[in-house]
Amino acid sequence: MVNKNYNFAFLDEGSKREIRRAALKAVAIPGYQVPFGSRELPIGRGWGTGGIQLTLSLIGPDDVLKVIDQGSDESVNAENIKKFVGICTGVKTTTDTREATLIQTRHRIPEIPMTNGQILVFQVPIPEPLRIVEAREEATKKMHAEKDYAPMWLQLYESLVKYKKVTVSSEYPCMAGGRYMMNPSPIPKFDNPKLHRAECLYLFGAGREKKIYAIPPHTEVVSLAFDDVPFERESFKGKKCRLCGSENTYLDEVFDRETGGRFYQCSDTSYCREVRSWS
Amino acid sequence: MISTLSKKHNFSIVFNSQKIFRLLLEAMSNPARVVSISKYASKLVGEHPAFLAVAMTLLDNEVSFHTCKNQSLSDEILSLTLAKSEPLESADYIFVSNPKDAGYAIENAKRGTLADPHKSATIIIRNDDPPVCRLTLFGPGIEDRITVHVTQTVRDAIVMRDGQYHEYPEGIDLLFVSSMGELYAIPRLTRMEAE
Repeated sequence: MVNKNYNFAFLDEGSKREIRRAALKAVAIPGYQVPFGSRELPIGRGWGTGGIQLTLSLIGPDDVLKVIDQGSDESVNAENIKKFVGICTGVKTTTDTREATLIQTRHRIPEIPMTNGQILVFQVPIPEPLRIVEAREEATKKMHAEKDYAPMWLQLYESLVKYKKVTVSSEYPCMAGGRYMMNPSPIPKFDNPKLHRAECLYLFGAGREKKIYAIPPHTEVVSLAFDDVPFERESFKGKKCRLCGSENTYLDEVFDRETGGRFYQCSDTSYCREVRSWS
Repeated sequence: MISTLSKKHNFSIVFNSQKIFRLLLEAMSNPARVVSISKYASKLVGEHPAFLAVAMTLLDNEVSFHTCKNQSLSDEILSLTLAKSEPLESADYIFVSNPKDAGYAIENAKRGTLADPHKSATIIIRNDDPPVCRLTLFGPGIEDRITVHVTQTVRDAIVMRDGQYHEYPEGIDLLFVSSMGELYAIPRLTRMEAE
């Protein structure tokens, strides 16, 4: 049921325009974090407000919206965002990746490759990849301007020296278009290769940090790695989804407290459901 | 006596703006892909409805624009959007209705800084001539390479912009719009292969 007391897509038109301008600049400069005036929403900052503001600025009556949270269409966060957008737009929602024109996601990229007409909007908690090596925004901005990413490389090197491997499991930094180091949001390393030369447009919104950035289609996105230590994503060798049997997807490890057993299942619930429907 | 007031423009600031924005986003994401905003631009009257449609979508009192001596266009954009008319060198959006002004606009538009590359101009150029040049373009948004047929205006604009040797991420983003409402984008990273 659409609540007509709200403007279409909740935000006022001035807010949408600012976000739209920022999104267009972000597309023109892949990986660069464009600042914007993040608005108040009826959701606390840190709960996906950057992604929601992008979605609300993008969405139109003809769109079909899908929202996923850690791959799941049915989680509380995903369901509530769908309800909220539905109340103030009336758009159709779906769990089918292929049917959606606009997908908002928290921490996953769908297993089904997205097409050129689709847009994936990421909810980003910390957009700045250099934050772990430099606390000051003023300093990280200068580092990006000068393409001075040595402290980040040193961080990875120290990780290798201490633990014999790079211990960053999610938010694994990458270079967009050969120029900007960017945080792909807390997606698992498993999803990083999907950013490289993708067909679809990726938009990243950080509401609390007030930044928007983007990766246009067919853009080179390379995860950081050394010549002698290549980038490696999570391996699920020998494991498969207990529900659909997939061996090539990102799997969640589930622990049964009563039996003490561990099992694995697809993180992308709609993909898992689709695979099961084939048999 | 009851008189009926009618609006000059039938453009919906909510729904038509959203449609045009999505088309602009598609154009910026896929350089040289032609999108049509004619369905929505036709809801605006005047000499440059396509310009006005882009202005209504992107401009408000937070940003500035310049129209290269086209006073009537400037007045119309000002009254519709409340954006500030500013000199070419400081304008956020530059509307070039006479392609002969494109060179000067590209030479003098703001290019942003290395720290703030988003503080650069977007130049919207009227592009109505028949296509006479074949260009091969590459860059983000283009799968490998794309060959397109463009007007002399477009070719000259890209040559002029590339000739400025902006140090990326500094740069200028170009939009070309025909009076029929056909639009495509050549963002700052789209490069032309040597002829």
